[in-house]
Amino acid sequence: MASRLFGEGAEARLYTASVFGRSIAVKSREPKAYRVMELDLRLRAQRTRSEARLMQRALSLGVRVPRLIALGRFSIYMERLDGRLLKDARITVRHATQIGRALARLHNGNVVHGDFTPANIMEFGKELYIIDFGLAESSGRLEDKAIDVLLMKKALSKDVYPAFARAYASDSREGKAVMGRLAEMEKRGRYQVRTLT
Amino acid sequence: MAVLGIESSAHTFGVGIAMDGNILSNEKEMYRIGKGGMIPNKVAEFHIDNAAGVIDRALEEASIALREIECIGYTKGPGMGPCLQVGELTAKMLAARLRVPIVPVNHGIGHIEIARHFAGQNDPVVLYVSGGNSQILKIDARPYRHYKVLGETMDIGIGNMFDTFARGIGLDPAWGSTVEKAAQNGGYVELPYTVKGMDFSFTGLLTQALRLSGSVGREDLCFSLREISFSMLCETTERALMLTDSSELCVCGGVAQSQRLREMLGLVAKEHGASFGFAPNEFNADNGGMIAFVAERMHRGNYHVPIERCGILQRYRIEEAVVFG
Ligand SMILES: Nc1ncnc2c1ncn2[C@@H]1O[C@H](COP(=O)(O)OP(=O)(O)O)[C@@H](O)[C@H]1O
Ligand SMILES: [Mg+2]
Repeated sequence: MASRLFGEGAEARLYTASVFGRSIAVKSREPKAYRVMELDLRLRAQRTRSEARLMQRALSLGVRVPRLIALGRFSIYMERLDGRLLKDARITVRHATQIGRALARLHNGNVVHGDFTPANIMEFGKELYIIDFGLAESSGRLEDKAIDVLLMKKALSKDVYPAFARAYASDSREGKAVMGRLAEMEKRGRYQVRTLT
Repeated sequence: MAVLGIESSAHTFGVGIAMDGNILSNEKEMYRIGKGGMIPNKVAEFHIDNAAGVIDRALEEASIALREIECIGYTKGPGMGPCLQVGELTAKMLAARLRVPIVPVNHGIGHIEIARHFAGQNDPVVLYVSGGNSQILKIDARPYRHYKVLGETMDIGIGNMFDTFARGIGLDPAWGSTVEKAAQNGGYVELPYTVKGMDFSFTGLLTQALRLSGSVGREDLCFSLREISFSMLCETTERALMLTDSSELCVCGGVAQSQRLREMLGLVAKEHGASFGFAPNEFNADNGGMIAFVAERMHRGNYHVPIERCGILQRYRIEEAVVFG
């Protein structure tokens, strides 16, 4: 299986490989030289398992994610989407609405993404796929959900944010409460959500 | 002409003298904590008793006469009220008597700026780790030049975690180094590891370590507590380094004295081709030199505050402080 490196995140490398003529993506958690071996193995294995589990949960909640093909101890083998990331695209009202719907579905199943930005949404064909469940968690907390909304809000232009918010609020079971918590957090500024803009 | 800086926010009363960006002297007296912890009024008394002596020593060491001082800096906060007040009053008295301007300094900015100075860095990602503080920061130019917090502890500072643990298992919490020493021959046991984006939390780790202290060896617990907490710092710092696309990393604050933490962060920096730096140890522990250093920059930037408006701020947030130089 020949593979080629095509991406590098804070804790994982992405390879592409070809299996039986099919192009797949491999997300592999690499060892960190700074931490002791026992901890390194524990974290990499735990997170690989958790990410795969949450991807599957997202799928069962009706959210488009790359199909899981196989799971290694430190690697997720998945369908390779030959699309483009939304961070590299002009985000339209139609996109924003789809993003809002997808997030509502995740949250209705108590999955929070943890890094919900256009860098982790891929447009493939006519559809949007949510990728990178590396920081995702199973959580019903309003605050965690509001953070997902807030991260996307910061990344969207004023023209398309309302469409995202409307779709989210109407499809999410706790849409009102989450948006209320978001407004509170923005006002309070005490627990500041750390973003880089 | 030189600037005199006074630090008194916690257990240390320190005085430093800075001139043209160099630190000429850095003298201090440290209150011995002991098992009872720190009682603010007791520590403040200690500072009062030591103020005059430490000032004299700093001047002498720098070969500077009091009349050559052109500005006084002091720690405005954050810190313990009674302790901060001693530094504030001492600074006001000196400034009034010498008829020189006075500048209030943020304690954390002192730690960071002195590290950035010794590291020779411009715009680093900074890991600031001390008793009460654990933050990841970077300079942001807008709306004014300040340190923006990219990530931080969601509960207690890492130094306090070590000290509480040491006390909990009957060790003397001597400046955090107790755990480090006991860790030397330890092995790994599993304890909670909690990071969230660029934030981290230490209470779960502390609670579990204390709970296991009856059944698991002390050395193993100290080792694991250190390795796991430092790994949390490294992971979040690495994320900040990547997301900001930075080529410089520095560490500061009392816990930056740990050799192991430096070694680990050095590996993080190396992985990303970033430079890595820190200040000599006497400037990582609380000290007056860093306050003098920052005060001089503020003085050159004409950031003087009328004496009647100089106060203390126990919860002085680091983002509120304007950064010069
Ligand atoms: N299934 C996939 N198909 C195609 N590209 C992918 C796929 N998964 C990830 N990528 C690419 O790899 C990059 C990093 O993957 P991601 O899961 O976001 O890892 P990280 O946690 O390092 O951010 C993405 O930004 C995207 O460009
Ligand atoms: Mg990603």
